[in-house]
Amino acid sequence: MRLFEFQAKRLLAECGVPVPPGILIRSPSEVAGLAFPAVLKAQVPVGGRGKAGGIRVVHHADEARMAVEELLGTRIRGYPVRAILAEPRVKVSRELYLALLVDPRTNRPMVIASAAGGMEIEEIARQAPEQIVRKPFDPFIGLPSHLIRSAGKALAIQDAPTFGAILEAMVGLFTSQDATLVEINPLAETPDGLVALDAKIVLDDKAAYRHTELFARLSEEQKELGRTDKTPAEVLAEERRITYILLEGEIGLITDGAGTGMLTLDLIQEAGGRPANFCEMGGLANAEIMAQAMEVVLANPRVKALLISLIGGLTRMDEMAEGIVRYLERQPVTVPLIVRMCGTQEEVGKATLRRVGIEPFDDLDEAVRRVVQAVEGASACRS
Amino acid sequence: MSILVNKQTRLVVQGITGREGEFHTRQMIEYGTNVVAGVTPGKGGSWVAGVPVFDTVREAVEATEANTSIIYVPARFAADAILEAADAGIQVVVCITEGIPVLDMIKIRAYLDCVPTRLIGPNCPGIITPGEAKVGIMPGHIHIPGPVGVVSRSGTLTYEVVYALTERGLGQSTAIGIGGDPIVGTDFIEVLSLFEEDPHTEQVVLIGEIGGSDEQRAADFIARHMSKPVTAFIAGQTAPPGKRMGHAGAIIEGGEGTAAEKIAAFEAVGVRVARHPGEIAELAAQFA
Repeated sequence: MRLFEFQAKRLLAECGVPVPPGILIRSPSEVAGLAFPAVLKAQVPVGGRGKAGGIRVVHHADEARMAVEELLGTRIRGYPVRAILAEPRVKVSRELYLALLVDPRTNRPMVIASAAGGMEIEEIARQAPEQIVRKPFDPFIGLPSHLIRSAGKALAIQDAPTFGAILEAMVGLFTSQDATLVEINPLAETPDGLVALDAKIVLDDKAAYRHTELFARLSEEQKELGRTDKTPAEVLAEERRITYILLEGEIGLITDGAGTGMLTLDLIQEAGGRPANFCEMGGLANAEIMAQAMEVVLANPRVKALLISLIGGLTRMDEMAEGIVRYLERQPVTVPLIVRMCGTQEEVGKATLRRVGIEPFDDLDEAVRRVVQAVEGASACRS
Repeated sequence: MSILVNKQTRLVVQGITGREGEFHTRQMIEYGTNVVAGVTPGKGGSWVAGVPVFDTVREAVEATEANTSIIYVPARFAADAILEAADAGIQVVVCITEGIPVLDMIKIRAYLDCVPTRLIGPNCPGIITPGEAKVGIMPGHIHIPGPVGVVSRSGTLTYEVVYALTERGLGQSTAIGIGGDPIVGTDFIEVLSLFEEDPHTEQVVLIGEIGGSDEQRAADFIARHMSKPVTAFIAGQTAPPGKRMGHAGAIIEGGEGTAAEKIAAFEAVGVRVARHPGEIAELAAQFA
């Protein structure tokens, strides 16, 4: 779960990390209590907000009211702005970067620090990697003091005790709340000391069962503020917990794995077709999930043909065929339906499909060719 | 002709009494795998598919000399199951389970660095040495024995590639899915070095994915240490940037992880990159 800035800052503040005193604003009338100059920051769950005009500095209440009105009506990278974090503007002398994440090279937690914060850290990583300190540490021992000291020294930190306390608080948050990313960017040096001006936290969904209260509270807020204008198919997919991503084309796609799903996207485009979506049921799919996935994908009115491509290991083909038949019994499919079936219990599954008049393909390329042709045929008929 | 699993494999199934555990135990036995024991705490003394069930892995090892384990237990018990297998002296542990928290895997990885046990997975399809042993959930019938080592992060992509190889008559020495999670027990490089040492593997097919930089590190390793030919394939070449496609690892982030970068990394060290599973088989056939 990727947290909103205000949620991340709240978690950090609870651990003792200094953050600006912010207020979450939902309507223009709420600007009354602000101290000026203030910074208004649109709360959206995506990066690149500043460049997209989602951050404004305002100097008095009228200006603030207008800016809030404007921001609340906009979208940032597709996300409607539903709340704004208002903070007093801080005088910044230096912007630093500080993060904790999992290092894929050592498979350990790692501190990343740079004296060049604020800007695109990825850009610095590419152009001046020597300006970035990377310090993996042992998960059983935790972050040793000498690593804190050397990170502080690399950043030329004046207030070493506060820096150490912030880093230790981040490690505490990382391990106690199952975070996979705790990032403060920028960590600002100000006349009043170090302050976390922006923060990004990602919590591990797989560990949600260990933090039920926290997750419940955060998702409640996210549901309200992160609401996007979803299509009926997207809403349905979310309810059914099926991975579904809406794309631009006409070929509906259902697969039983992320790998084969991405491959099938590639193949459809190579064959001159355009996928309408990516849909992956996951390894533990059963007949009901198959039927629901069909419901999700076919809820998109742009779909002119449906390709169900299955190559199951954990997914059993007998159950997948059962699911397809179950859907067809509830309602007919009005677009061409192509099924590719290979894997565990495939003979049973194929027999089930043949009983309802579907001849499954073994070969993915062949199935892709057929579905692309089916869409071309449908377009030709109409024109 | 194999790595990690073969006719000497004596398999214990952890979580054998669960739905998946029991079903795949039967499938593995049917394939010819020597399944010697099962473990489910509290169910010791019972039998599943003709296999004796024990309360602990240690009891199973003492009674049956099991040397390899496969884990089907639910996510919140899976980390413990891995440790139990390691502590019982199991050499190769295959963890099928998906959904182990990342912080748990960090600790498991650090612990396993200190013991001789090798972990494959989690969130993986397992290992198959065609004609000898299947320790996993892959459809056995699409594999045939032969000289090609196959390694992949994705389960279903492994099947796609194996299917294409088999169609062309190119058999597999061993096919391994290392798992799609951010932290796995064994990475590309370790599997590549096992294939390099295996006298029966003549060439390797490596299947990558978008996200992360494992493939770039693999390319570097191939350039320095591999004498056997390697053919690579990267899925997700047309995936829209920033969209999560279902795997924890398969996210395009910043400058690291696009299909184009990975393809360039392989081509820079002379590894041929197929654009298509069928093309992998064609390229591999040229080495056969």
